[in-house]
Amino acid sequence: MTFSYTIRRILVSIPTVLLVVLMVFLAIHLVPGTVVDMVLGTQNYLTEEQIKDLYRQYGLDKPLIVQYFLWLRNVVVFEFGVSLRTGKPVLQLILSRLPVTLELAVLSMTIALSLGIVLGVTAAVKKDSFVDDVIRLFSLIGISSPAFWIGAIFIVLFSGLFKGFNIFGYVPFNQDILKNIQSMLLPSLTLGLMICAQIVRISRSSMLDALRQEYIKTAKAKGVSRSALIFKHALKNALIPVITISGIQLGYLVGGTIVVENLFALPGLGRLLLQAVNERDYPVVQSIVLFVAVMIVLLNILIDFIYTLVDPRVELK
Amino acid sequence: MKRSIVLLLVLISVVLLAAGKLTIAVDVEPVGLDPHLVTAFASHRILENVYDGLLRFGENLQLLPNLAESYEVVDPYTIVFKIRRNVKFHDGTPLTVEDVVFSFQRILNPETKSPAAAFYQDVEYVKATDERTVEFKLKKPMASAILPNFAGVNSSIISKKFFESGKNLQLETNGTGPFYLAEYVAGNYLVLKKNPHYFIQGQPILDEIKFVFMPEELSRVAALKNKDVDMAKISEPLNVRQFPQDRFNIFKSPTLSYYLIGINTTRKPFNDPRVRNALNYAINREAIVKTVAFGEGVVAGPMHPSIKAWALQPEEFEEYKYNPVKAKELLAQAGYPKGFEFTIVTSQRYNFDKVAQVIQAQLAEIGVNVKIELVEWGIFIKRWRESDFDAFISMNSGSMEPDIQFYRHFKTGGSTNVFLFSNPRVDELLELGRSTVDVQKRKQIYDELQKLLVKESPVIFLYCQNQFFVADKSVEGFKLLPNEGLIFLRETYKK
Repeated sequence: MTFSYTIRRILVSIPTVLLVVLMVFLAIHLVPGTVVDMVLGTQNYLTEEQIKDLYRQYGLDKPLIVQYFLWLRNVVVFEFGVSLRTGKPVLQLILSRLPVTLELAVLSMTIALSLGIVLGVTAAVKKDSFVDDVIRLFSLIGISSPAFWIGAIFIVLFSGLFKGFNIFGYVPFNQDILKNIQSMLLPSLTLGLMICAQIVRISRSSMLDALRQEYIKTAKAKGVSRSALIFKHALKNALIPVITISGIQLGYLVGGTIVVENLFALPGLGRLLLQAVNERDYPVVQSIVLFVAVMIVLLNILIDFIYTLVDPRVELK
Repeated sequence: MKRSIVLLLVLISVVLLAAGKLTIAVDVEPVGLDPHLVTAFASHRILENVYDGLLRFGENLQLLPNLAESYEVVDPYTIVFKIRRNVKFHDGTPLTVEDVVFSFQRILNPETKSPAAAFYQDVEYVKATDERTVEFKLKKPMASAILPNFAGVNSSIISKKFFESGKNLQLETNGTGPFYLAEYVAGNYLVLKKNPHYFIQGQPILDEIKFVFMPEELSRVAALKNKDVDMAKISEPLNVRQFPQDRFNIFKSPTLSYYLIGINTTRKPFNDPRVRNALNYAINREAIVKTVAFGEGVVAGPMHPSIKAWALQPEEFEEYKYNPVKAKELLAQAGYPKGFEFTIVTSQRYNFDKVAQVIQAQLAEIGVNVKIELVEWGIFIKRWRESDFDAFISMNSGSMEPDIQFYRHFKTGGSTNVFLFSNPRVDELLELGRSTVDVQKRKQIYDELQKLLVKESPVIFLYCQNQFFVADKSVEGFKLLPNEGLIFLRETYKK
């Protein structure tokens, strides 16, 4: 049952991914200024003929629709092309940057979920108390502060307070775990707190909702202990909206990595994407967007499975 | 005995100095590594330490021999280079005249699409006349004018054998420079290591330089303060003030690059030179330097004022004395006594937008109403290339050679004459300047040209901003060049 569901979901997702990629393809190509313009800048030494040659070399002389299908045809056979600016294979570029962004995403999601649910549930249980007020203020600040600002505050604080703390200079996990964690801590905190703020709000309100339900009153009347009431009965039901929101936050996470990776000089996919957009490095932009779109679709399918684990009433058909 | 002890101590201190690793935070990472193809500034900064040209720049941008141990302009059509002996590429193969000839053949080959091809378009042939001599024969008498190009990264000498073995120079390097490229992790860092066979004794001093790429200035400032890096490029003059001089060495130099207002000389009312010249009088350049660059810059004429051999100084131009009354007079003569309105196109880079705002306020005082149109950089380049503007604000890279500085910008139909400017006397002077060998006569020609360019005003030359590298107090021996080159890294050391 679930196998056929997965296959069906994947098939249904293909048009979505194609649509996303088409939109990005059009957007990046319709923005004035091609990769040739970016190469030449305002120091143009080449003749018109040489410039036309460059267009031919980059395949930009063909109609847009032809360029799109040529690229798509190559993607089907996992041929992602070569970066127009650096001459490196795009797949190699993406794979070399992927571990950094994955680590950042996993760490920030872990921080966001663990802190978010704990704070949200605490706020709900201690509704209208001082603790509740503080947590709500915290989440309000988190929602209203952009990542680059939170990150900047962290950088200033940490570089002033903790001399010798490895804020910059990313080191891969398999080379030096301690330095890796040091270099990943602030970026994942920045991104984690941004997403955490949303999760606090949702878990608080859904927990409050759960606590108001009749079965809680019944359980209470039957003398179930307070902790069992909260953790065993209410929390499980309150988690469902939290999971939904986490899925949506994955999209924000992608946007956030661009900002955070730039700020903390992390060699991840987000920074590669930003650089590629600025340089109109079309194959790199298109491939990263395709990759991210596929990842988000797959993760959302995964989230559907998590529903079935948390709530037995949910059935994947 | 005493003497040998002193000698030993000197030797030990040299070894101690040599054992150094320098980490530098820079804003942009290289885009490609092929010295004949790269156009990105960031690539030049790395490659000038990996490859060598026949000539190189000294501290004051004077031309010095490099891979050529001597050179001679035999006549206006002929340059002869004597190639240095015992120079080796990083892979151990010796440098020969074939490598030199091959490098220039590759640059000149239209298939290569090298930006340097334009510098050498009037070269008739390059040939080795013996095993140490290379001769350049030109079609036009302009030998002196093209000399500085031989010091540029795009004219680096590459190994013929290495290239012909099928290596992709965008990804792999093999130069003769003081450092070789040891490691490059895209998006993260790049490591240069000492070339032990470098042909200048005692250089480089450092064992290793690590360039760390940090796009955000805030991060570079924090990393330097936190001692994560030894040195950092700081772009905003205001941020330099965060570094107390007792704990940091501040290296600064005005750049050759200059801010300018470019004008479309075919659009009304700018098709009248008097209107363009009126802007010269109405703009208070000192005020722009003060407000936008916090005083960290110098007002510039058509050539950088520090190039004393050629440049007329700002005070030599009548137009540079702020004079709104005269500006209004000129506008009235041109038929615009009540002023007019025009649009400045610019981008949010290097404070172009802020320069535009100050100019907007200054021109309002003579009744000229400026609209500012801020566009993304790619859009800006497109509009610049198509001359789709009334006026724009941008920055041009400068040169210490007047022919390179002026020819392609101001010659009728020149490759970067986006101003669509055409003036017969300017064309004449440009041709005369490149074909004249006598320095005195050349100076007279370029003096007249500079005066004429300011009067005709296809562009309004504004100012050159200071550039900064801030380093830990232990970093010494470094110097910044006005062309923003980092070649003095070979003489840099840590105490």
